[in-house]
Amino acid sequence: MTNDSFNPMEPCLGRVVSLKELGNEIKLFSVELLNGGSQNFLDYQPGQFAFLSAFGIGEAPFGIASTTERGHMLDFAVQRLGSVTTGLHELGDGDIIGVRGPLGNCFPMESFKGKNLIVLGGGIGGAPLRPVIQTVLDHRQDYGDLTILWAARHPSLLVFTDEYDEWRSAPDTQLHLTVDNPDDRWDHHTGLITDLLERVSPSPENAVTITCGPPIMIHFVNKLLVEKLGFASDQNYVTLEARMHCGVGKCGRCNLGDKLVCVDGPVFTMQEVGGLLESFL
Amino acid sequence: MSSRMIPGTTPTVISKNSLIQWLDQIASQMRLIAPRDIDGNILYRQVGNAAEITWDYTRPVLSIKDVFFPPTEVLFTIEKIGNEVNIRETSPEGEQVLFGVRPCDAHGLQALDALFIATQPIDPYYMRRRENTTLVGLACPEMGATCFCTTMGGAPDDPRHMDLMLHAIEDVYLLEVVTEKGAFLLARYPLVIEPGIQPNTYIRPEITTERLAYPALDSWPEQFNQLYWEEIAERCLSCRACAYVCPTCRCFDVRDEIQSEQGDNKVYERIRCWDSCAGEAYRRIAGGHNPRAAKGERLRNRFYCKYYYFPQQYGPAACTGCGRCIDVCPAGVDITEILQFMAGIAMVEKQAQVEVGRV
Repeated sequence: MTNDSFNPMEPCLGRVVSLKELGNEIKLFSVELLNGGSQNFLDYQPGQFAFLSAFGIGEAPFGIASTTERGHMLDFAVQRLGSVTTGLHELGDGDIIGVRGPLGNCFPMESFKGKNLIVLGGGIGGAPLRPVIQTVLDHRQDYGDLTILWAARHPSLLVFTDEYDEWRSAPDTQLHLTVDNPDDRWDHHTGLITDLLERVSPSPENAVTITCGPPIMIHFVNKLLVEKLGFASDQNYVTLEARMHCGVGKCGRCNLGDKLVCVDGPVFTMQEVGGLLESFL
Repeated sequence: MSSRMIPGTTPTVISKNSLIQWLDQIASQMRLIAPRDIDGNILYRQVGNAAEITWDYTRPVLSIKDVFFPPTEVLFTIEKIGNEVNIRETSPEGEQVLFGVRPCDAHGLQALDALFIATQPIDPYYMRRRENTTLVGLACPEMGATCFCTTMGGAPDDPRHMDLMLHAIEDVYLLEVVTEKGAFLLARYPLVIEPGIQPNTYIRPEITTERLAYPALDSWPEQFNQLYWEEIAERCLSCRACAYVCPTCRCFDVRDEIQSEQGDNKVYERIRCWDSCAGEAYRRIAGGHNPRAAKGERLRNRFYCKYYYFPQQYGPAACTGCGRCIDVCPAGVDITEILQFMAGIAMVEKQAQVEVGRV
């Protein structure tokens, strides 16, 4: 692709190869890229995102929920919330969607090597964390302990439940679950992820945390980590969500002060976020 | 008032008659866009010949932004037949000449160029229109009541950012060739030169509005003054007219619209349209969270963007001092008032730092 003909707004075509109910109003799309579009996605990294098009409605950004190491399919967890996600939910196996990316920066997995990782996912915010978990599991000896704290408002909103066994059975890996509003069958922790985090109380020694979830959750998780558990804010990584229309630093939608979530992020340390002129909250 | 010789060029004097012939010739060969009086509003619009051009204007209601970055444009046509999808990029328009451009509007392209061309990845739609368009400027006869171009580094007769520049001297024009692109246009469409007035009789337009102080990039307040923005926001109606008329506001939205539908054969257009950070939904994310839910926060973003964020991200300030947003605001929000307030805050902060011995 020469620079002359490159159009950053042009999606490539992808076929929905499998569609799985991941939770209430949440579907996991596995997408196969067509017409050589996979060339763009040869070495995407955990934390990057892409725009998905529901043709006729528009496009929206989603964290990529897969890794290159586990095959050529791209996974996206889509919760039905707005017009584009509703359009995507109406599609079926074999349907054609648009995929534009990969975009944004990524988690510095290389610098996480040898460290203990605490991964905190809230609801659909678990989607961009799945590649982090999978990368650690696929290179288990390169990383220290992996502690996963997985939360949702309700059990039906917990994502990747059928992968819990794989996570739990990996060496030096723990999975802790919590929901705000349990149902009758719930036999794990009940309460906010911050309650669970305080109970698990991970050590800040040689550790990093990686959080994705609603802005308010990110805020209180970081507060707890720093004020009670002794983490420094540069040990706490987050991936932020913002409304975007281009993903390449042009449309202006995703600014946080003088930073753009699309090109300066979506991955930041809380130290960087704290230094921004404007709050993400 | 001062007179000047234009350095590095040999200014040429042309009569209005030959200018009109030249424009007629251009209009017969390609698209000519020039100020036109449309129901009392002066707008840069396509003209069929020079007679359709209005010469009596201070600045058009809208800037030249829409020539390069239209309010709505089709990025792609998406054809969907059954489960087969074809995406076709919109083909570029032909060559065009933009005549009668005011210096503040050409200056606005500096910010748009920095964003769409100088920052990777290049926006192909904007770049093609930039490449296909030759700018012929016409110096302002005078500064308007709300103009503050000199504050933003411009001037009513500033030839920078133009390809050719004209200055009216009574009923003739002084021509400056600014770029090679301008010279190329002249080579293809020669202007009849008439000897007569000497260039040094040219008198610069008077600078009638005061140059305002505004904070340098490194002295912008480190914290937002929330009360101030809340107070300004009491006036703001979130109508977004300021962004619409602005030569540099460029935020956009992208969505699909249906063009035609016949059974299983559907044609959609992926359109890009202007948007503004003053709108309530601008930062709202799916699920309802809005980090800029208050009007004052959104208004603050607009001004910080113009003079602080945009220059940090892309280089130039996103304001040319055209003053259109002042004219168009139904609630009397005045950008120069805000600039002066910010300058005041910056000064107070600096003073405080001096007093505690930090500087």
